[in-house]
Amino acid sequence: MQRKKIDLSPYLLISPALIIFLAVVFLPALNAILMSFQSYDLRRPSKIGFIGLDNYIAIFNDPLFWQSLWKTFLWVIFGVGFQFILGFVLALILNKKFFGRGAVRSVSLIPWVTPGVLIGLMWRWIYDGNYGVLNDIFLKFGIIQEKIPFLAQQTTAFPSVVVTIIWQGIPFFALMILAGLQGIPTELYDAADVDGANGFQKLFRITIPMLKNTIYVSTLLRIIWVANSVDVIFNMTAGGPAYSTQTLSVYVFNKGNALNLGYASTMSIMLTLILLAVAILYLKNIFSSEEE
Amino acid sequence: MKKITLIFCVVFAVTLFMSSTGFSQNEPVTITHWYWADNPEYSATMQEIVKEFNATNDKNITVVAEEYPWDGGAYSETLFRVVMGGGGPDTSSFKLTSTPLFTANNLLANLDSFIENWEDKDEIEESLYDTMRLASGTDNIYLMPWNTQVLYVYYRPSMFDETGVSVPQTYSEFLEACEKLTRDTDGDGSIDVYGFGMRGSTGGHEPWGSFIWARGGNFSDFTTEEVVAGMQDFIDLFENGHAPPTATMDGFQEIIANFKSGKTAMTIHHIGSSPGMIETFGDDVNAFPFPKGVDQWTSMGDTENVMLESCGNKDAAFEWLAYLATGKGQEKWCTVTGNVPVSKTVQQLPVFQNNRFMKVSIEAAPSAGIFPVLDSTTEWISTIWPNTIAAALLGKTTASEAMQQLQKGLYVE
Repeated sequence: MQRKKIDLSPYLLISPALIIFLAVVFLPALNAILMSFQSYDLRRPSKIGFIGLDNYIAIFNDPLFWQSLWKTFLWVIFGVGFQFILGFVLALILNKKFFGRGAVRSVSLIPWVTPGVLIGLMWRWIYDGNYGVLNDIFLKFGIIQEKIPFLAQQTTAFPSVVVTIIWQGIPFFALMILAGLQGIPTELYDAADVDGANGFQKLFRITIPMLKNTIYVSTLLRIIWVANSVDVIFNMTAGGPAYSTQTLSVYVFNKGNALNLGYASTMSIMLTLILLAVAILYLKNIFSSEEE
Repeated sequence: MKKITLIFCVVFAVTLFMSSTGFSQNEPVTITHWYWADNPEYSATMQEIVKEFNATNDKNITVVAEEYPWDGGAYSETLFRVVMGGGGPDTSSFKLTSTPLFTANNLLANLDSFIENWEDKDEIEESLYDTMRLASGTDNIYLMPWNTQVLYVYYRPSMFDETGVSVPQTYSEFLEACEKLTRDTDGDGSIDVYGFGMRGSTGGHEPWGSFIWARGGNFSDFTTEEVVAGMQDFIDLFENGHAPPTATMDGFQEIIANFKSGKTAMTIHHIGSSPGMIETFGDDVNAFPFPKGVDQWTSMGDTENVMLESCGNKDAAFEWLAYLATGKGQEKWCTVTGNVPVSKTVQQLPVFQNNRFMKVSIEAAPSAGIFPVLDSTTEWISTIWPNTIAAALLGKTTASEAMQQLQKGLYVE
């Protein structure tokens, strides 16, 4: 009996990517899971050791964890929600023909291609309570009578950082939706015109249904990215004042910076599980609606 | 043949003996040194010091200085990670507060024997060595003193004249001055000048400590009545509008910018800011030690140098650390940065004796101290203190509640 010859070439071709994936994603993730069951605080090396579920119990009893989780929820809902709405509007505008459209399309990408650290620093100065340009504009237009310390008070700090992340993410949605819009056959709109459909009807009966998959995928990606985002908040407020802008990712970062790696790992595992649950629900919804 | 073999053996044995007993010290040695610099001028100064040391030392030592940003203290964390990972420099600039982290992981070289045999040992005050021992929590010295900065109050004499305020001699006079100096200068109904440039963000614990001690408190227990009273004074300054409304997020850059732009009349920092202050105001800037209330305390900022345990040539590394502590390196660095030298000889140089800010630093030095150096201190400084204080300033917690949180955060069980 002749043995079947195994073709190794696919495995060889995929192996570099697989090795890199294992080294930079899988192993650190595995290490984080192991660390979450340990007292792993580098400031107290003599106490490093297995502690079972103590870290998990500790975070459930940590009011800052719950507060940060709530902030993460708001951060994602408002951040991604408004990014999507405004990105959609921008995509619709950029899909129309007008003079200088190419230039406008390029310029509108600037927030997306700017590094998060730079965005954080830039908006920090825009919001500055003493020298910020936003206060200056509001004062000149008579919108406010006194300067507002946007990032220095709890009531305004969180909305301020949310506005920044919205600004950063609009081009991503605009780009994705614009690509989707260009894939919709124009015949559908022509037929709708013949049937006498108005603009809203065309939007809700043709455009949005045809963009459904693009919207699902881009929103899911953005939810994960925004929930994990640290750079913008950290450079604007570092989570303050009084933890009012501390999302779970920022809390993880702060704890990691304080070298309490066990506790930070535990929180990051929790965040991963939450995002995984959101992703599963989301994808399940996509596939079930496709089956219908 | 036997003779040749014998000669060869003798030569070999002598060579082996010489190399093992340090006679090979003039072999070229490279020492890698890490440091941070607050501005390009300081950066250039360090490179000049290195160049001069490399050219003048007679032990064939070449120092390669690598600059990393201070980044609000992230420097220490970067150094820690690199050294833990098996890399890093031979020597590095350092802060006292990081000592427990490094010593707990056996990353610093013990300097006791080097200092004991060092001819310039007495050039540095014994009290500074004691502080280094205190920071390590042992009887050993792991840090080589380099320079210190004593916090004091900067003020604008012209603003004092305009409001009829004299330089405060007591803590209550200081609080009164904060109130009197807060003014609406253009009559538009809004405050233009705040009496006190409060630092509520990272690093603000140092000036804040002066309020605690002025009420008779200290850092061993944050829950005492005296400490709570000091905290209440701090809150009152903010709530009564004697400090900018941005204070909860104001760090070093902001308090200096506010003072230089005339938005605040007083602020607390050390001599390191004085060249910039003089450049902005000329003679219209001066300083006084934070005044005494029930007690008096100001923060002693510090910068030391350490030798890492992994350093391959500790004798050469100590030569370099000694040059920074008492040699030309000390003189040059302190002259440019305006920091207080640790070398007694350098302190006596005219450039330091004739400096009005140096005089205030020296005047404030007897009341200067440090925060408890514990393994929880760095997190307490970077995260717990600013957020707890912000909550109290913004009225989310009382002074008493805030102090209990700070106690729990620093003295972790």
